[in-house]
Amino acid sequence: MIFDANTIVYMLEIIAGGLLVSVGVHFVPVGGAPAAMAQATGIGTGTVTLAAGSGLTGLLSAGLMMSVTHNIWPIIATGAVGSMIMMDATMLTGDFIYSYAVGCPYASAKVNYDPITGWSQPPYVAPGTVGQGIPTVCFVTGTIGALLGGVGGAMIYYPCVLITNNPAESSMFALGIFFVHSVLPSWNIQGTIEGFHDPKFKKWPAAFKASLVAGILLAFMAVLIAPIGGS
Amino acid sequence: MDAFGMGLVAALGALATISGASEDIDSDIGSQSNPNSQVQLAAQVGNPHRIYNKAIAGEPPSNALWCACSGIVAYMLIEGYHMPALFAIAAGASFAALVDGVMATSAYFGRSASQSRFNQWIYLDIVRYTTTSIMAHVWITAFCLTTVAYIQNYVLTPHHPFPLPVIALIWGITVGAIGSSVGDIHYGGEREFQWRLFGQGLNTMLSGQIVRKAEAGLRNTIDNAWFCAKFGGPCTGLGMGLTVFLDNWRTTVFDPVTQAPYAIAMGVIFVILMNVYNFYLELSARKKYGPYPGYKGDIAA
Repeated sequence: MIFDANTIVYMLEIIAGGLLVSVGVHFVPVGGAPAAMAQATGIGTGTVTLAAGSGLTGLLSAGLMMSVTHNIWPIIATGAVGSMIMMDATMLTGDFIYSYAVGCPYASAKVNYDPITGWSQPPYVAPGTVGQGIPTVCFVTGTIGALLGGVGGAMIYYPCVLITNNPAESSMFALGIFFVHSVLPSWNIQGTIEGFHDPKFKKWPAAFKASLVAGILLAFMAVLIAPIGGS
Repeated sequence: MDAFGMGLVAALGALATISGASEDIDSDIGSQSNPNSQVQLAAQVGNPHRIYNKAIAGEPPSNALWCACSGIVAYMLIEGYHMPALFAIAAGASFAALVDGVMATSAYFGRSASQSRFNQWIYLDIVRYTTTSIMAHVWITAFCLTTVAYIQNYVLTPHHPFPLPVIALIWGITVGAIGSSVGDIHYGGEREFQWRLFGQGLNTMLSGQIVRKAEAGLRNTIDNAWFCAKFGGPCTGLGMGLTVFLDNWRTTVFDPVTQAPYAIAMGVIFVILMNVYNFYLELSARKKYGPYPGYKGDIAA
């Protein structure tokens, strides 16, 4: 293959996309297994699960857009929107269950007042738990996380297609890179995080650095290995 | 936009809704959901039980595996043997159900046998009648999502560039993520876990204290399905259906070639509406339920 200026741009896009995914994962309010029993604030599942679910839905939308245009902006935008729709639909239906089945108000245990609505939180936290449900601040931060994940996923997929000219192979490669960047921040998050207002959010530079190293390696792999299977 | 395209998008939404519901009920019967951490702990704190336990993989990877298995078989039969799509997808889903049966059985034996030192038994009757229920639900999930992938790949215009198995795999991950995020909360609200005050989460002190007895006899995971099918399953289906329907609706109504900005703007409007709806939900939940009575802090409700 020819290693030219375009190749470097492709690599930079893959690295930047990975960094966006990595930072975006910190925004997603995940409560893990405790949240599934209304013991913790956030969505009742794991970090990677949710980041991958939303980011890959965005990847499907971006893939569809890329089949009709090679203009990067609509591809990234539609990826972000697809990802946000999945995340919001998930959080909204999750809150249906918190409201109508578990029967609890939503409350964050990490802040005294919701930074967006200004509503008090501690009186609404059930005794013996660390909050429950997805309050407005968590919903908004989850949407931002999905936005970054969707943009990141599309930015990883876009150069892969340009390198290989093969959407099938590129999608699998982008999926793999996406998983690497959504797993790395999990060490920072340690099971639960509420979003940008959570003290754990301040640890994002550590995941950023790790993702940068991983991203550089993966970008080299993408430009060197991916074309072998391409058309 | 044409009527045929809109009909297909409606079909996609319906199929995705069914797949979401069946995925959630499958994970509840197999206790593959997040609250399974309590089931895992139960025997160790002196509560051996008759709960099925196939949680050796998270829901998204396992559903991705089943949907990809189904998608690969269907793709091979359609492309290689020119079989009618319906039969090919049904054959693929049957294969996926068999793969799930193998995983579920080995997971149950492994999980229960590893806790034999805590007097956890392996119940063969549970294996016999619960595994088939799980497989049946996986068949439905795999069939619906492979059909969604088939429609996106072969029928809906513009055709999706990803091959059928890759689309099925991605939808498998998505349905697992939604089932794990939405349906698990309802499973976590089931009597198996919530046996104290209504209207609050499980107190951390009560971890592992699962409910093992019913009014008559011992409880098993079929009882969970009876409960979760009422609200958790439909809600998961709603989440998955919304995702698939809204995402495909905007690119079908607005042609991605000439009207891409409108398709994107429509998606942004959906996102804003969902944010506003959640704000309303939070407000109404706070008003209706009020603060917890035992709160002794300084911050006013």
